[in-house]
Amino acid sequence: MVDDQKKALRFYTEALGFIKKRDIPMGEHSWLTVVSPQEPDGTELLLEPLGFEPARIFQKALFDAGIPATMFKVEDIQEEYRRLQGLGVVFKMPPTQMGPSTIATFADGCGNYLQIFQV
Amino acid sequence: MDFYEQEVRRLGAMLYPRPELSRRIVQAKEYIDRQFQGPVDLSSIAGKAFVSKFHFLRLFKQHYGMTPHRYLTEVRLREARRLLAEGLPVSQVCGAVGFDSVSSFKGLFKRYWGRTPSTLKKAILKTGPAEKE
Repeated sequence: MVDDQKKALRFYTEALGFIKKRDIPMGEHSWLTVVSPQEPDGTELLLEPLGFEPARIFQKALFDAGIPATMFKVEDIQEEYRRLQGLGVVFKMPPTQMGPSTIATFADGCGNYLQIFQV
Repeated sequence: MDFYEQEVRRLGAMLYPRPELSRRIVQAKEYIDRQFQGPVDLSSIAGKAFVSKFHFLRLFKQHYGMTPHRYLTEVRLREARRLLAEGLPVSQVCGAVGFDSVSSFKGLFKRYWGRTPSTLKKAILKTGPAEKE
C-alpha cells in the first residue's frame, strides 16, 4: 500500500529498477503494477493506494514497529546497499548478517519499509 | 531501536549465537556454488570451516534446511535445467554439472523436477529435435 502512487512509481522504477506493467485508470487512482525487467511476465507488484482507513492504520502500525511490508532477494547486498544509498535512499538497518542471510531495511518514502536480503 | 530490529537481533542471537561460525558455513555454501561442476569433497569443505564433518553437517542443515550433499545436488540439478533449456544434450549436461553417471543423473533429475531431462527439455524448448536417450 502506498500513500502516493505517482511518488511510488518513481521510487520503484527509478530507485529499485522495476518497470511499469499496468496503469489502468480507476477513478481517482490507478491499478498500478510493476515487474522485474528480467521477468516482465512474472510476478506483478501492486502499488495499491491507501483508500481504506483500516489499511492506513495497519500500514502505520507496521511502519512504527519497523516491520517491512515486503522483501526482495538480491545477488549482492553490499553492492545494492551502496547503489541505493547513492540514490539517496535512507537505510534503517544496514546489511546485517543473520545466520545464512544478510538483510537490510530501508524506507520507500510512501509509508513502507522494504527489506532486501542475500542468501 | 524499533520492534523489528529488536526481534531481528533477538532471533539472530538465539538461532545463530556464533556469527563467525555462521560466516564459515556461508563460505562453505558459496564454495559449493562456485565449484559444483567438479568433484566436491565435503570432508575437505568441513575441514576448511574448521569443524568436524559431523558438526559441519549439523550446522549446514541448521542454516540451510538440508545437508550439504543435498544442497550440492540441488545446485547441480538447477544448473542442469538451465543448460537443457539452452538445448544441450542430456549426456553433455550430466558431465557439465558434475555428475559421473548419466543414469543416476536422470533418476535424480526426475525425482527433483518431476520429469526426465529429455521430457523437460522438450517442454521448455517446444521446438527442435527430441533428445535421444
